[in-house]
Amino acid sequence: MPRFLRAQAYLSDVGKTGTEAELTETLAGITSELGFSYFALTHHVDVRRAKQAPIRLNNYPREWVEYYDANALGVSDPVHRAAHVTSVGFVWSEIPRMIAMTPADHEILGRGDAQGIGNGFTVPANVPGESNGSCSFANPKGKALREEDLPIAQLVGAFAFEAARRLWRIRDPLDGQLPRLTDRQRDCVLWVARGKSDWEISRILGIKEDTVARHLKQARERYGVGKRTMLAVQALFEGSISFTDVLKR
Amino acid sequence: MASFAHDIPATLAHPALREMFAARKEVFIDLLGWDVPVIEGRYEIDQFDDGDATYLIVPDAQGGHAGSARLLATTRPHILDSLFPQLCAVTLPRGPDIFEITRFCLARSQGAKARLETRNRLVSGLVDHALDHGIRTYTGVAELGWLQQILAFGWDCRPLGLPVRLGGRMLGALRIDITRETPASLFANGIYVPANLQRLQTLEAA
Repeated sequence: MPRFLRAQAYLSDVGKTGTEAELTETLAGITSELGFSYFALTHHVDVRRAKQAPIRLNNYPREWVEYYDANALGVSDPVHRAAHVTSVGFVWSEIPRMIAMTPADHEILGRGDAQGIGNGFTVPANVPGESNGSCSFANPKGKALREEDLPIAQLVGAFAFEAARRLWRIRDPLDGQLPRLTDRQRDCVLWVARGKSDWEISRILGIKEDTVARHLKQARERYGVGKRTMLAVQALFEGSISFTDVLKR
Repeated sequence: MASFAHDIPATLAHPALREMFAARKEVFIDLLGWDVPVIEGRYEIDQFDDGDATYLIVPDAQGGHAGSARLLATTRPHILDSLFPQLCAVTLPRGPDIFEITRFCLARSQGAKARLETRNRLVSGLVDHALDHGIRTYTGVAELGWLQQILAFGWDCRPLGLPVRLGGRMLGALRIDITRETPASLFANGIYVPANLQRLQTLEAA
């Protein structure tokens, strides 16, 4: 099958996954078809200290994963450090030309080697404003990389990382980046959506009409809108109120 | 010395466009090292900056240029069909409702936070512009390093071919399909800025 058609099929499969388990399984299959033994898709953070569980999907041997975490290699891993200095995929043999390698770095690569992860291709996944990450495909030392399929691996890596981000975001939704309303502002907006005037809302909530007007003004400012109707629309759009909230009595 | 069919002095007459062309020189030539012509030592203008290009410009707080993008009609010669047809492995998308995004530019003078905000306003503006004008697909040629960021906006983006190394850069052709659901996807990714906060200017050079 022509190379791009294969790539399109892989990207389509990756895009359709609905859970991390499905994505892991799909990636394992693609990895094998690209001529690799292993893949690893990660956020580059210290797993033990991360606030929210970072993205981590792989089919590495379990022993290696445990050793890696126990020694917090995620922070110092030379593969990850190299992924931070470039934004296109690179083979691991290029790493010494990309970063200054320490004896500890050579030790990490040596240990990985011993575990059967010798030779790899890493696609950086750097998204400004979020953590850095990467998607790597690897082989045991001695098993050559399939050069002609690296452009496909490049696309698969990027789309897989975005699929993982999407799934991770469903599990841990973005907070603090959306203009959340206070409880009182939300109550007032809900009654606006139900068609009540400021005076009517003041009677319903048992507060002064001036206070209602102030809550609504602040809500409008948070959303950057001038009109009452837009307030209701934005709150619905953002999910601060739902259609069920508005319509059920 | 570059020479174009269109009238450079007329193109440079509009102050907002002048600022944009100067910012483009700073970004694409000075920063990214593109091998494209410089006009009067200050401006980056090419053969596609003729009377038919559309520009979306994001102003900064002082009314100067914070960011911009150029849209080219795919029914006329544009970047993908004229300069990089080898990046497209499928039938090249072409039609009155398909436009190419080019010269996506964020002014260098901003801090990182301001630059991200400008980027979000510009991306949101591109989506709203598409919905307002019946554009259902954007195409574009991008350096592969931007791909992750482009995907992270949350819109429906797919490649048109495999990436290719050209002139020392890894380039790929993309398509982005826009629907009524796209603003919500951008919003879910913390990208969407509502139209009244974008404060975008849309210009056509004449």
